[in-house]
Amino acid sequence: MILPGRPDRIHVIQGECAVSDKPEAVLTTVLGSCVAACMRDPVLKIGGMNHFLLPGEGERSRLNEAERFGVYLMELLVNGLLKRGARRENLEAKLFGGARTIQNFTDIGAKNIEFARRFLDNEGIKYTGGSVGGDQGRRLEFQPHTGKARQFLLPKAIAPVPTPEPRVPAPAAGGELELF
Amino acid sequence: MSLLAQLKILVVDDTTTSRMLLRDALETIGFRNIAVAADGEQAMQVMMSQPCHLIISDMNMPKMNGLQLLHAIRTYKPTSRTPFMILTGNNDKNVLIEGRKMGLNNYLNKPFTTPDLKKALEAIVGRLH
Repeated sequence: MILPGRPDRIHVIQGECAVSDKPEAVLTTVLGSCVAACMRDPVLKIGGMNHFLLPGEGERSRLNEAERFGVYLMELLVNGLLKRGARRENLEAKLFGGARTIQNFTDIGAKNIEFARRFLDNEGIKYTGGSVGGDQGRRLEFQPHTGKARQFLLPKAIAPVPTPEPRVPAPAAGGELELF
Repeated sequence: MSLLAQLKILVVDDTTTSRMLLRDALETIGFRNIAVAADGEQAMQVMMSQPCHLIISDMNMPKMNGLQLLHAIRTYKPTSRTPFMILTGNNDKNVLIEGRKMGLNNYLNKPFTTPDLKKALEAIVGRLH
């Protein structure tokens, strides 16, 4: 979504991913227990951000199903960068979010962080820092061109960032799976 | 032994984590013979040296994408009829249209669940007979 009057500010909501090669672009998001990966190719000076939440407890939270959703968003980010000419070996990423917000009995944030770190490790993508964990939500701004990220911690007392229901891949309906 | 356990399947994906998850899902479904390749070239090498009964390939890969791999597989005589399924991340209708012309057997949109994958594969396996 591009906000009127601030044409190069792109807000990334949960379950989405945005990539930009514009020097003036700023990618923003608000995180609770979700994690956002800010990934870029420092040589080309292009980058992007995703925002994901692995499904928590419950029947659908079996590790593989949950992780597949995270992998999907990470792949969207990586592929979005590669499509614009980024080189895989140049990619580096910062991670933000994964807070343990009060209402969570289980530490979903920690699971998200653990997944994101493991993904970067598996794919050989350099981890260049960020800020994860804690018990406060974050407002995040990322400039893909410079690689600078700024976060603003949200006050604990006011309202913890609500954890939206993660978008779990729905079982294939008739139209989802087309056979031919 | 179930039919699936006897089939050899090749997974092609450039994302290591995806390959690991796919392997896990395929094992859950009942496959016991799973080969993996990180790109189209590796996939062709596998198919030339130890042919598989089925191929699942990611669409978006560097060097050779899923459709280009499908083309290579279809033009190599020994694999010209090997069932081929593409995993696509963006619900791209063009992939489907192009794929159909080239003999794509099935496709699945990411992210999918293990039952989705099972259904998609069984549809192909059913038609092997």
